[in-house]
Amino acid sequence: MKVDQYNKMENSNTKHRIIIIIVSVIGIFIFFVLYLFNLQVLNKLKYQDRARNISVRALPIPAQRGEIFDRNTDKPLVINIDSFAVNITPGELDDRTLNQTIKRLAKLFSIPVSDIKKKITSSYRHLFQPLEVKSGVDLHKVGYIAEHKEDFPGVTWNSKPIRNYLYKDSLTHILGYVGDITVEEYQVLYNKGYSLNSQIGKSGIEKEYDVLLRGKDGEQFKTVDVKGRKIANRKMDDIPPQNGKTLVLTIDRHIQRLAEEALGARMGSVVVLKPASGEILAMVSYPWFDPNIFYTQKAKEYYREKALDPKHPFLNRAIQSAYAPASTFKIIMTTADLEERAFPIDKTITCNGSIRVGNRTFDCWKKEGHGPLDLPEALAQSCDVYFYTLGLDYLGINVISDFARKFGYGSLTKIDLPGEIKGLVPTPAWKEKMFNTKWVGGDTVNTSIGQGYLNVTPLQMADMLAMTVNKGIIYKPHILKEIRDPVTGKVLKKIKPEILKTSSITEQNFSTIQKYLRGVITDGTAKVVITTKAVNIAGKTGTGEVGLKDRWNAWFVANGPYGADPKDQVVVVTMVEATNKWEWWAVRAANIIFQGIFAGETYDEAIDSLHWGWLRNKKEVE
Amino acid sequence: MKGKSFFSFDIPIFLSSLMLMVFGLLFIYSSGITSTGQNVSHEYIMQSIWIVTGLVLFFLVMFTDYLMLRRWTYYFYFFTIILLLITLAVGRKVNGARSWLGFFGFGIQPSEFAKISTMMILADYFDKHRKNILEFRTFLIGILLTLLPFLLILAQPDMGTALVFLPIFFLVAYVAGIKRRYLFFLLISGVLMVFLGVFPSWVKYFVKSDIGIARIFVSMDIIKILFFSIAAILIISLVGYLSTKKRYFYWFSYIVSSILTGLAGSIGVRIVLKEYQIMRLIVFLNPYIDPKGTGWNIIQSITAVGSGGLFGKGFLKGTQSHYRFLPQQSTDFIFSILAEEWGFIGSFLVLLGFGVIIVRGFILLLHSKENYGILLGTGILTMIFFHVVVNIGMAIGIMPITGIPLFFLSYGGSSLWTVMISLGIIENIYIKRFSY
Repeated sequence: MKVDQYNKMENSNTKHRIIIIIVSVIGIFIFFVLYLFNLQVLNKLKYQDRARNISVRALPIPAQRGEIFDRNTDKPLVINIDSFAVNITPGELDDRTLNQTIKRLAKLFSIPVSDIKKKITSSYRHLFQPLEVKSGVDLHKVGYIAEHKEDFPGVTWNSKPIRNYLYKDSLTHILGYVGDITVEEYQVLYNKGYSLNSQIGKSGIEKEYDVLLRGKDGEQFKTVDVKGRKIANRKMDDIPPQNGKTLVLTIDRHIQRLAEEALGARMGSVVVLKPASGEILAMVSYPWFDPNIFYTQKAKEYYREKALDPKHPFLNRAIQSAYAPASTFKIIMTTADLEERAFPIDKTITCNGSIRVGNRTFDCWKKEGHGPLDLPEALAQSCDVYFYTLGLDYLGINVISDFARKFGYGSLTKIDLPGEIKGLVPTPAWKEKMFNTKWVGGDTVNTSIGQGYLNVTPLQMADMLAMTVNKGIIYKPHILKEIRDPVTGKVLKKIKPEILKTSSITEQNFSTIQKYLRGVITDGTAKVVITTKAVNIAGKTGTGEVGLKDRWNAWFVANGPYGADPKDQVVVVTMVEATNKWEWWAVRAANIIFQGIFAGETYDEAIDSLHWGWLRNKKEVE
Repeated sequence: MKGKSFFSFDIPIFLSSLMLMVFGLLFIYSSGITSTGQNVSHEYIMQSIWIVTGLVLFFLVMFTDYLMLRRWTYYFYFFTIILLLITLAVGRKVNGARSWLGFFGFGIQPSEFAKISTMMILADYFDKHRKNILEFRTFLIGILLTLLPFLLILAQPDMGTALVFLPIFFLVAYVAGIKRRYLFFLLISGVLMVFLGVFPSWVKYFVKSDIGIARIFVSMDIIKILFFSIAAILIISLVGYLSTKKRYFYWFSYIVSSILTGLAGSIGVRIVLKEYQIMRLIVFLNPYIDPKGTGWNIIQSITAVGSGGLFGKGFLKGTQSHYRFLPQQSTDFIFSILAEEWGFIGSFLVLLGFGVIIVRGFILLLHSKENYGILLGTGILTMIFFHVVVNIGMAIGIMPITGIPLFFLSYGGSSLWTVMISLGIIENIYIKRFSY
């Protein structure tokens, strides 16, 4: 009896709950009906318009990428060659047709089927958008596809010019190259006008000024079905493409070639800088690579080979490699002494070939010693002991690093090339943080001759000398000179010199240091090698230890014509990695470069003028 | 007696389902037509076969006593679990999920049948334990029975199908008389879990501005701190309740522990799901965030539906579908084609058809006095209803894209058979209303 009653009660409760469900279900259905009424009846026009727009396909009309000239503007360094990209829209095809089409394409391009299959990942398999499967296709092959369209369902193509670098060799680091945008780059540049099929500058000027070079793609409107089959053309709405801007570089390709040949096949770099404006006339880094191969079949293989090369050909050593400045640092040491009056310039320090600091002995490069030297003599002879003493006893590490920074060491030169590094100016605080050990006298001694932790890029080195030439100003080094209209050639923008750093060091002291540096050439370490009669130069050698036996980094930094208006001067930095100490190649290369620039000669003419004809057979050294 | 029972089955439900299947057939045919008027698909022929066999199954089940089937509940449940395991191991991958099992050239989706077997076992279990339906233990075992197939399907991974199990459990348990506070507990935790789980991605892609204090739900570190502090509060209130037995301590612990469960779940969600997966779930909030990727389907579908207008563009005249802008036209997005070509009138008829089936179905259950049948029927109707809400919601952009089919209309044998068997059971429950 009781159970029955319970059941009855339960049953009525159950019914009650079901009725609640029924009411909710009806409520939700009414909501859906109202929502659909709003969508389909009240907002119908909006969506009909949108449906029309979707089937109106905007096909990009690719913009021509801008050309690049050197400062002579007579011949382009980079041009575009006509070429096509072939796409597949995988969503339109079933598995069998897709495989068949891929096979036909692979045969046509004579590439493995897997190369194409790789591009159509499983997440793209049902995409109703064209995916690029091959670029760099010539007109002939595209013509074949067009004639046999029924054999290639879902296949479309678009014009995609490829870059051709007419002057490759040592300009590759500066010009860079372009390639397909990667997914990572696309994510970063989302909404900046790039698409998944975009080309993008990967390094050098191509990357730095990609926005200027790429221009803006135009659009061509067609009413299409999703297969891209044209139903109607709508010519009047077409938006013409805006071609990329023409760039004129500060580089002088004759000087670039001269510097390139002067350095020869030696790992290292050359920077030729106009100190009064910051314009880079030449920048060489050896070894380099051939960017044109990136647009061919062998691109991947070539890239892998070069990326694994222990000589790091992708590295632009002029801005992406930092080395101990070695004896060139004595320029800064000397300036610091002149400015701080720490040690009288006419008083001498006697060099006995070595000095003891704590329990370590520091040698002079000249084992038998220089004897007593004053400051200008010590700089000319590059006496290590003099500068050890100056640094340790009279200047101290704080003054030294302070002056190094005044010359721009340890900070970026802000050159308009990607990937620059800033080198290092050590301080006691830095060492303690980095190695958890105290700064000792030996560290100061090492720093005093540009060794130890101190390291700088060749471009920073050029800036350092530029400051002495400009008497206290470093102009921001730059590669871009002008932006021009691609059609009319009108100059749209001229890059003006921009001050990077100014210094409070007196003009008097800069003149003095220039005088001393002239002394290095006339009476000092570089006397024998600098033989050019075309110009009088001032400069400093440097030979840095790298920890390899009998191998030293060789520097030469110089400016000329000595004493002329900074506007007429050039600064040349040559840097040869770990070559034989007494081969003096850095100085020799600079000698050729100065001769070539100021006598208006090519490499071959310059070595003839210098009576170094024997070098012609020695071009490929090491 | 036999003759009477034959004609006493519910005609409105049958006619509605017939109408929907015919609609389905028409638009599966339509979906195979390209802009040039060629028919590129033979799916409509296959679908007619499924419809005929589905009808046979419907009548077979309708005249089979569902209580006879009940005896097989545990075998059936066990069998589908095994099938799910096999599918996980050797199943065929379609669209990234291992959800198909091949038999002699045919493919079936065991997850479809798992839905029915899970409903059966839930109905059976709750009915057997109706005396102690208020106990926590009953509730817990009900959850476990649901969770087993749910997790196996989630592992395929087929989240859309797995999700169906949750409303089934909820409504069956609710009708069975499980304590409402248990169900509310699950509901609060679940909502919190989903909300907090997707909140960081939502902030990242949709808000993009400073969100002030809500930042505490974004940083994983702060959430961990939050988690432990709430856990501490819970312990304190539990101690309070155990020592004083005051009601407010009980309710306080109830709320705090549901929040805590939700929070723990959301941490789990964020660890298990990759950001793009979460993104896929919430992109329907604003598909224009990713118009070429995840948002593409949604935009195309809303555009198709919206451009249909009151009367539609006419059968076989839709542009969105025949230019093939719509993906998976014959399965997931069949409603979009129908809405484009037949307009609001067509979509209303579809909603009406489903409305009749579901509402009428529940009304039929009201006539039954047999508890097991009522519970089983509730499960079946919940399943159909959930599919309708999610699939049509997806087509009109108010539900995430989870890829579950629209019963009767979507192309595919498994789903059609499932719904026909289900309706057969409903009819049978109704026919037997006087017997028990």
